[in-house]
Amino acid sequence: MTGKSRWTDDKDDAVVAAQRKKEREEKKRAKAEKQRRIEEAQLRHQNEARPGSTPNGHEDSDRPAKRRKVTPGADEQHGESQPRELLRFDASGWGPCRHVDNFERLNHIEEGSYGWVSRARETATGEIVALKKLKMDNLNDGFPITAMREIQTLMQASHLHIVELREIVVGTSLNDVFMVMEFLEHDLKTLQEDMSEPFAPSELKTILLQLTSAVAYLHFHWILHRDLKTSNILMNNRGEIKVADFGMARFTGDPPPALTQLVVTLWYRAPELLLGTTTYDSAIDMWSLGCIFAELLTKEPLFQGSRELDQLLKIFDLLGPPTTESWPTFRRLPNARAMKLPPSPSPHLSPQQSLRRKFPILTGSGVSLLASLLSLNPEHRLTAEETLQHEYFRDEPRPKSKSMMPTFPSKAGQERRRRRASPNAPQRGDAPKIDGNMDSGGIFGRREDIEGGAGFQLKMG
Amino acid sequence: MAPIITGLSHLANPLATPEQLATSPSQLDGVPSDLEVSLRYAGARLTQIAGILLRLPQDIVAQAVVIFTRFWVGESGSLLEFGIKDVSAASVYLVAKNSPLPKSPRSIVNVYALLEAKLPSLGELHGEAMDYDPDSHYVSEGTYQASRSLLMKIEAQMLRKFGFQTHVATPYALCINYLQALDVIGRPKGEDVAARSFAYLNTSLLNPQLPYLTNQPSSLATASVYLAARELEVKLPGGEWWEVFDVDREELGFLVVGMLSTEGFILDEQKKWERRKIPMTVAEVEDEIDRRRILNGED
Ligand SMILES: Nc1ncnc2c1ncn2[C@@H]1O[C@H](COP(=O)(O)OP(=O)(O)OP(=O)(O)O)[C@@H](O)[C@H]1O
Ligand SMILES: [Mg+2]
Repeated sequence: MTGKSRWTDDKDDAVVAAQRKKEREEKKRAKAEKQRRIEEAQLRHQNEARPGSTPNGHEDSDRPAKRRKVTPGADEQHGESQPRELLRFDASGWGPCRHVDNFERLNHIEEGSYGWVSRARETATGEIVALKKLKMDNLNDGFPITAMREIQTLMQASHLHIVELREIVVGTSLNDVFMVMEFLEHDLKTLQEDMSEPFAPSELKTILLQLTSAVAYLHFHWILHRDLKTSNILMNNRGEIKVADFGMARFTGDPPPALTQLVVTLWYRAPELLLGTTTYDSAIDMWSLGCIFAELLTKEPLFQGSRELDQLLKIFDLLGPPTTESWPTFRRLPNARAMKLPPSPSPHLSPQQSLRRKFPILTGSGVSLLASLLSLNPEHRLTAEETLQHEYFRDEPRPKSKSMMPTFPSKAGQERRRRRASPNAPQRGDAPKIDGNMDSGGIFGRREDIEGGAGFQLKMG
Repeated sequence: MAPIITGLSHLANPLATPEQLATSPSQLDGVPSDLEVSLRYAGARLTQIAGILLRLPQDIVAQAVVIFTRFWVGESGSLLEFGIKDVSAASVYLVAKNSPLPKSPRSIVNVYALLEAKLPSLGELHGEAMDYDPDSHYVSEGTYQASRSLLMKIEAQMLRKFGFQTHVATPYALCINYLQALDVIGRPKGEDVAARSFAYLNTSLLNPQLPYLTNQPSSLATASVYLAARELEVKLPGGEWWEVFDVDREELGFLVVGMLSTEGFILDEQKKWERRKIPMTVAEVEDEIDRRRILNGED
């Protein structure tokens, strides 16, 4: 008995199919109702678990009498508008994405290379958030791995000085995916552009300490940020900074796996990356931190190279070229093998002296910290943990308390942030190779073993 | 290479809520519960085999099985909307993508086409399947394009269903840690205990009580060590040693009973599907439901 003969009549077929469809729809309805109740139960449960965390703060969860009853149908009228706030990111569970329609977009904040960001209000709660739409490039491989890493690292990083990712919401198209984050009024780059004076030394210390604590947390948990720069550091009007933009971040291990050197915006990129290493570690973030430190002193990015080679030259210009003593393994890096080093621009100045001359306002311990962060040899660079212990933070003036930090009118709250030109975040693609062909200043020798294919994006002049 | 740590809470798993476990979209759609159990099992097994054919390490394969299993509880994920083959393929693809060993859509499509062709019955999910050469099977360009876009679509739907929470912690590394802490590794039969513990962890992925959705990896590791040591008569410290690993007697007992039942369950399933093709697509599931209706004299 095959059962097939039973269904030879097309008309019968249609009737049966229609009947089944109806049954399924009824069950779906029942299912939806059930689901609604589940969510409600979850919401209730959550409110119990987190006293005072009810969406609008009106309901006092200590008073059970005010809790809504869950008799079926009782909530029909306002069932739709009921905020559904599942606890998505604690280790205890998962739930489906909500629709982005739960948010009203207020204004565009900023367009970056991997997406755009806007200020938005959650309709049900009135809460202001930042919505970042994820860029869906290269859909050939499905959901982009970069977006996946951004979500996964940020989802699992929970720290006072790392921007909070609340949930992922989606649009109707499968390509519409948004990160819902806490909203912060400023980013350090835009903020600095509007400040007439740089941050005061005590304020700088507070910012740097907070930033370093976040980086220490990431590194402790084997996360490399790989794109630390002032535009990726947010600041609120409560004296707090938060690290954002995990679009380049990823988990690592020890020893580190082979990784792309196409990371970190050029001006903040560590020398080992510029020299083509693929086995780097957390020290690359510490170099960026050093660059940010210097930038906060003067409101000017420290090394504003135009391309890889130029960037290296600017670095060597200030800190002196590496020597076999200061960086014994540097010659083994792919782009350094055939490189002719420039003569030391100021042969009698150590990196410390050079930095002191460039930043006369900085105290002795400040110079020593900066020099240790900007050590060419990644092995000599301070770790985040060591940085936190540095005497610079104990010296006078002491770091300012959060409540004493200055506040500023928010650009992001009103209008799109103005941006001065700066190199964009690294683009995915083939890694640039620095080789003899790009030699303009005569410091790079010819490299005979140039691999085909990958190189030559970088043309000089 | 040292293990790549995959998260802050890398030792903990998101678990299904009782409500999620009580909601089966498939059953609401009219899929008999025993058929759902069979299909979930077959899909989990299919995922394991595909993972092996793709030369993925045990840990990544286990993650794929857990993701596959999570898909069928709670909201959406009905067997009358998604075929086990497609969801299994998307689970492997998604998990591998997040791992140090990503697989191309083409490898995934090829391997699943091969499995579909070679595995008419569930019985065969246990034997020679491992000997297939994944590179021996190709699909036409048209089939590939269609399969690939389906793979992407299901991946997107999975991510939405999970709220992008795709973290899976597995108990294998913990299990080794525990065996070391208990001083089993290095003793005579130490390796055997380890192998036996891993076997329990692997078959538990197929257990219909879904232990990987209800219990933390630390508990699963503890129960597997308990069983393996008992079976091989390797003495563990007296007293309630499992409490050191944050497992209480009740949970341990529950898991031990569950783990011991897996083998019988698998044998039953094999027998049930000995001579019949397991329905791997929605259309096949619909046919199976119709077949049962007729057998039961309904309509
Ligand atoms: N949570 C937030 N609150 C307020 N503003 C934010 C927030 N997140 C991001 N922004 C603003 O949007 C800008 C871009 O965000 P983000 O760096 O995450 O995106 P991106 O596309 O990865 O950028 P890029 O590629 O340029 O680095 C930030 O520099 C900041 O000005
Ligand atoms: Mg950015």
